[in-house]
Amino acid sequence: MSDPLNARLKQLIVQTLRLKDVMPEDILDHEPLFGAARFDLDSIDALELVLRLEKEFGIKIGTSEEARQALATVATLAAFIRAGNPAAPPAPPP
Amino acid sequence: MSPAVDALPAGIEACDCLTPLGDATATAAALLAGRRALQLCPVLGAAGGDPVPLALCGPMDESVPPRWLPALRRLVATIPGDRWGTARRPLIVTSSNYGVGSLYAFTRDRDPRHLRHGTPFACVEMLQREFGWGETVNLVSHACVSAHLGLVQAARLLGAGLADRVLVVTFDFVSPFVAGGFHSLKILNASLPAPYAVRATGSIGLGDGAAYAVLTRDATPFRLEAHTLYNEMHHFTGNRPDGAGFDACAAAIAGPARGRRVWIKGHGTGTLEAGRLEAEAYARHLPRAPLVSWKGSLGHTLGSCGLVELAIALASLRAGRIPGTVGGEAPCCTDSVALGEFASVGYDGAILSSNAFGGAHAAMLLAHA
Repeated sequence: MSDPLNARLKQLIVQTLRLKDVMPEDILDHEPLFGAARFDLDSIDALELVLRLEKEFGIKIGTSEEARQALATVATLAAFIRAGNPAAPPAPPP
Repeated sequence: MSPAVDALPAGIEACDCLTPLGDATATAAALLAGRRALQLCPVLGAAGGDPVPLALCGPMDESVPPRWLPALRRLVATIPGDRWGTARRPLIVTSSNYGVGSLYAFTRDRDPRHLRHGTPFACVEMLQREFGWGETVNLVSHACVSAHLGLVQAARLLGAGLADRVLVVTFDFVSPFVAGGFHSLKILNASLPAPYAVRATGSIGLGDGAAYAVLTRDATPFRLEAHTLYNEMHHFTGNRPDGAGFDACAAAIAGPARGRRVWIKGHGTGTLEAGRLEAEAYARHLPRAPLVSWKGSLGHTLGSCGLVELAIALASLRAGRIPGTVGGEAPCCTDSVALGEFASVGYDGAILSSNAFGGAHAAMLLAHA
């Protein structure tokens, strides 16, 4: 069963960062987002993404190191959001 | 490609700065006492926001006239008199921000008076009117190596025989626009900076700063002996992770420093990776030179840091004591980081390092008896 939060995050990533030739469903839950040649994302992309996530999910990312850990993959991002916002959609049962 | 070293000696006839701790002498004394100018303040000034470390000369919010003008009046009053801004006595004004915060203020309150000093040219025209400076003025803005570039340009004008004395003036005052930008990058956060410390999260502070230097071809007790500049062209907010840019700059300035006993005033803002790469590069090329950063107290004065910290270095040398890395903490990323103050006796030179967005690396050799 797919995780609705993961699916929403993939949509946000593609929209916010205007990724070309990448569909949300192409992004794997545990695939590295930064440092991967496929996405070619950098710190300015991270900035844009963090601002969008903070706005949409009401979370706070405090430091650049915290951002780096949270944005490692879609799965880590979802876990970070759930930890910071109890109103976020719960993870589906394993 | 290795960066070139610009061996154009320029005498420093006069130099001073203004920080929240006072002029260069007062600031050096405060640093020796371990005082931090940084305090946690709302990132957007009166508009609130998260607390972040800022070292301010007054309330951060944009005003009309701009809040940096009274501070510059105090500083400029101490500059030796001359026909500044004329052909043989050109003026170089540097800043990374100039009045950019005023443009942001205009977008919020639509007060057109902000626009009178909202661009670099408008700022400098205001300063020319205010201080009676002439038309021979160069503007330099290259992020956080701006003041360094101004000093290089001044040395080149002198070296080419195009000027007899050159006045370099720099100023950068924090605004909600600038603080908000760094806060968005998350490198300006709720923690006070600890330059060169090995810790889990990095942080910088931002500070108000202004400074000037009068450079001359005449022999003076302190002189800028050599400069180097290198832009690694990797990314506009990131350095090459292998540290090649820092290494190239440190290797280049180590050449003219050979045979001297030097200490290093590093850039050291408090970010983890850049601090480590800078410290490692200098430890490699100048292994016996102690490394200090003063941004843990003063915050990062952005484009002005190169000249603000030069003025503090000169005041420290006159006092015979070099402030340590205020706000730093063990463990440090290299053994060369000096957390405590030390005597200047026995040293006959200092390397002053500045780095900037865009992967720009700059260093100069300050020589003294």
